[in-house]
Amino acid sequence: MSNKNDLVVNPAPHIHSPMTKNRMMQYTFFAILATIVVSTILWSSVTTPSGWNLGTTVAICAFISVGIAVALDFLIGKVAVDSEVNTWSAAVFGLIVTACYSLGYPGMAVMDGTPIEMGIPVEAPLAFFYVALISVIGLVVFKKVMSLAGRKLVNPAAAAKFLVLLPATFTTLVTSWHLPTGMLMVPSLADGIGATTIVGGNGGAAFGSYLQGCYAIPTATTIDSIESIMLLAKYHGWVGGASSIAVIIAGIALFALGRKYFKWKITVSYLIAISVLSVIFSLAFGDVDLVTRLLFELFMGSSIFMAFFMATDPATTPYGGFGQIIFGIGLAVLTIIIQTFMGFFGGSLLALLIMNLAVPFIDRIRINKPFGR
Amino acid sequence: MANLVHIPEQKEIARKSPIEIFPDPKVAVVLINQQSGASNQLLVKVGDIVAIGQKIADTKERISAPVHSPISGKVIKIENAYNSCFEAPTDAIYIENDGKKTKDKSIIPITEAQLATTKNEDLLKIIREAGIVGMGGAGFPTSAKLAVPADKKIKYLLVNCAEGEPYDTADERIMIERTTNIVRGTRVVRKLLGNPKVIVVTKDSKVEAVQKLREAYSKEPDTEVRATHLTYQQGDAAMMQKAILGYETPAGKRSYEMGTIVQNVATINAIANAVFEGEPLISRVTTLNGDIAKPKNLLVKIGTPVSDILTANNISDCGSVVVGGVMMGVALQTSDAPVTKRTSSILCFSKATLKKAPKPTACIHCGRCVDACPVRLQPVAIYNAVIKGDFEKAEKMWAKDCIVCGTCSYVCPARVPLAANIKMARG
Repeated sequence: MSNKNDLVVNPAPHIHSPMTKNRMMQYTFFAILATIVVSTILWSSVTTPSGWNLGTTVAICAFISVGIAVALDFLIGKVAVDSEVNTWSAAVFGLIVTACYSLGYPGMAVMDGTPIEMGIPVEAPLAFFYVALISVIGLVVFKKVMSLAGRKLVNPAAAAKFLVLLPATFTTLVTSWHLPTGMLMVPSLADGIGATTIVGGNGGAAFGSYLQGCYAIPTATTIDSIESIMLLAKYHGWVGGASSIAVIIAGIALFALGRKYFKWKITVSYLIAISVLSVIFSLAFGDVDLVTRLLFELFMGSSIFMAFFMATDPATTPYGGFGQIIFGIGLAVLTIIIQTFMGFFGGSLLALLIMNLAVPFIDRIRINKPFGR
Repeated sequence: MANLVHIPEQKEIARKSPIEIFPDPKVAVVLINQQSGASNQLLVKVGDIVAIGQKIADTKERISAPVHSPISGKVIKIENAYNSCFEAPTDAIYIENDGKKTKDKSIIPITEAQLATTKNEDLLKIIREAGIVGMGGAGFPTSAKLAVPADKKIKYLLVNCAEGEPYDTADERIMIERTTNIVRGTRVVRKLLGNPKVIVVTKDSKVEAVQKLREAYSKEPDTEVRATHLTYQQGDAAMMQKAILGYETPAGKRSYEMGTIVQNVATINAIANAVFEGEPLISRVTTLNGDIAKPKNLLVKIGTPVSDILTANNISDCGSVVVGGVMMGVALQTSDAPVTKRTSSILCFSKATLKKAPKPTACIHCGRCVDACPVRLQPVAIYNAVIKGDFEKAEKMWAKDCIVCGTCSYVCPARVPLAANIKMARG
């Protein structure tokens, strides 16, 4: 034999399961892409006052964020000696940037009669700039630089969005829109929700009609029921969460395909904890309208999309099953508290960042002793 | 046990291939250490003429096993050679075959009728002198394992017929073709352990073997053949006790302290050969499998160079040769390395297969290894400690409890070499 001494010597085991990192990322990519396609189709029936079709806006945003992420990932992989080029991972990140960006045009803004000039970057072309900025910062700072330093501490898309939109909230949202109109337009959840009660004093309407005003299709003559809005189609908010049903189907399909490789325990424990807490809060505040609170907390875009696709990001969540359940419950508790008492209706984003930072500790908790101990 | 990972068996052709006798090698390369435990010293020197079955290396230590010449001929060379069972070099004795087949008869066999009246010490002496070691891969001297302290009562003898390693079918063929031999071997072991209950544990996928075992063991007293759906990991002795008897052996305790001995079927076959035929462990059945056209089972002399077997079977495109099982075995540095007592299989993987295999990448923290570990360790955490050189932390996380089954590396989607690094911490 000529090749006697040039045998490849690898450590045991010498075979591996067919699942690879890349395949996991491909599955995730197509699952998220499915939800974004649904959003694009749904939203293509709406045109904002600036003349942009919302569906087109979503599609362009997705191309921008994915394109930037993949290109930068490739570039960094070429110039940094020890950086892996993970094209699929970068593409997934790009899609999540678009999916967790708030687009749309709340119907209530035109309900006053004359369309209000929106200061928040929820419309094209300004939205393109923000999406691009989040994509760049998320990929470079929170994905690549953190990976080089050891491991990712926080979900890159969530952290980048938070970092970019925090100043935007103060400079554009509050000053150019909410302050001149005299209303913050965001009702509080920290009291009993009823069909007619205006809670917190700063809402323009009762909670149910606020939801309908905010999320229903702006061109509609008859407003859809809260159930159908929260479950089937919202026309404002997170791109990825436009249709809760679509997210749930895509998410379950993903978990079924990559069985045992995706952290579905986080999703399940989060959704159960959210439901239980909503009921508890509802009883505590004496809600007339329990269903509205429950639907809002569960199926708002930031909640449902995050539960399936962001809270399950492998790198920034606990690796043990027990830790994943703690993580899901913690995420739910923080989300509910932030949304109820801080009046911040994207509370799960902040909650996710806090829980991400707690992961190194959660990973150290173990109840499961080794065999025979 | 819901989390045990199923690994495809890949045994379809090999399990149907009868054992073929492979011709004696022209030059046998016998490693003087093929056991775990005390090291052997040479008993021969260059130029000596040896007979088949003659002891050529031994030691006086208790936990040890001698090695024997597999062929008759002349010792032509003694040198440090690549060791295919410990991943480190050891002395090897090169014996040139003279073709005379002269036999050494220092082991005096007994007949089956004599078994009941033979003293346990004499039986253990035969097993010790025959150089029998655990043939499932561990290589632990069997005479030491079966010499159970008198105050310990053994309740169960589990005959390990699981053969969990994918590709390997040598044990399965032994079960089919040497059934009566393993039954009488089981009698020897049962007598040594004070007549415990015997459970023959096998997998339901070994249809033909299960049938043969059921027939052969049906007349044995206090014996049960149990064919269940075992996964690869349950071939491990501790895991098997959990699966069959339901308890977890406390860490640090030996299996016999819990009243159970698990004995591999190939070892029992070797015990029968030694006790009733006077034949020391100089040959074994091994599976030739992998990316090859004709997987088969061969009865080969220990000391046969692997390259002889590959050449005889026209296997030339080898990127990697793995001996002793695809999950726990060792990849050979050179195919000149010989077959040892622990070579349960010889697996060839083509260059094309190796090329297709994904390269190791960074961990993505998915936690699959944590979920899959059969002994409930946290492989990724131990791995992270090991690569930082923090062996103290690794030990705190029970790295020593690892059974080196390789499941963590098998499932890892990033192909992180978890098992290999944890093995380092385990020592």
